[in-house]
Amino acid sequence: MCRLVAVKLTGPLERVLRVMLADPSALHYGYDLMKTAKLPSGTLYPMLARLQQDGLVNAEWEAPRQDTAGRPPRKYYQLTAEGCRVARLELAQAASSAPAPRAGHGAVRPAPGSTR
Amino acid sequence: MSPGRRTQRIAGWLIQAICRRLPADVRAERCREWTAELPAIFDDQSIRPSFLRTLRAFSFCVGISWTTRQLSKSARAASRRSRNAQWRTGAMRARPPELAVRAVRGLLIWLVVVVVLLGLIALLRTRGFPPSLPVLFVLPLAVGFDVFCLADIARAEQVRYLHKWAWVIICLVQAPLGGIMYLSIGHIGRHPSRPTSSGGPSGTIR
Repeated sequence: MCRLVAVKLTGPLERVLRVMLADPSALHYGYDLMKTAKLPSGTLYPMLARLQQDGLVNAEWEAPRQDTAGRPPRKYYQLTAEGCRVARLELAQAASSAPAPRAGHGAVRPAPGSTR
Repeated sequence: MSPGRRTQRIAGWLIQAICRRLPADVRAERCREWTAELPAIFDDQSIRPSFLRTLRAFSFCVGISWTTRQLSKSARAASRRSRNAQWRTGAMRARPPELAVRAVRGLLIWLVVVVVLLGLIALLRTRGFPPSLPVLFVLPLAVGFDVFCLADIARAEQVRYLHKWAWVIICLVQAPLGGIMYLSIGHIGRHPSRPTSSGGPSGTIR
């Protein structure tokens, strides 16, 4: 499972993980994530697909309900347990290395599983 | 029908058209997912005035188009990887990317052998030897090579592209060329049934 941690933490990914980690049990649909993380769909969906492939994010279809006023069922995304763990780790590392220049800090303590 | 609903339908068609680019196994699901996002965009009260929502929906479609390109690219890469893996483990139907290269390489090897042989005959003829002499030497080599190929076919659990018998006939009829072609195309180098250590190349233990 070391491949999972090899996800490179980019700015947009960091924003998505922050939003999803704010409440790990919450279900997010695509437009919701786009709005809260302020990302265009062309960045968000490939990222979600990659996270899903790596087992960090789970997707499930909304059960059809009566009170949706004819709205088609949505697909909801949620962090998996592994995803929560990896996201916390990566965000903590990003936070700890944020004040110093990243390159110097990364050389001292590289992210686990990163290819550096 | 209100203008909002109409543009929503147009955006839905657009998404459907964009989704055609995706591989068939994920197309319908992705299309449903993205079409289901459209009502949320068109009902988003935080975007004012309302015509900006239409713009937002169409920029959403542009992003979807980009996404489908990324997804189909990675799907193609994955299928190429699995095809290569199948080819290495000897699946008959797997189409290797380098088949033409292998065939040309086999032909080149054969050409080199023929040229060397003709050169040898010409050289020995200038020295006064009869042309039958080098053939006498080469013939056992060719027969040995053919026997080696036939033995390889007989021992192999599986050969590629053709039946074992077809490869035997090719080896026998086109004596050196058939054998070379078998080795470069039909021969499965690694035994698929033999367990290799943790997927690394067999025979190299580090």
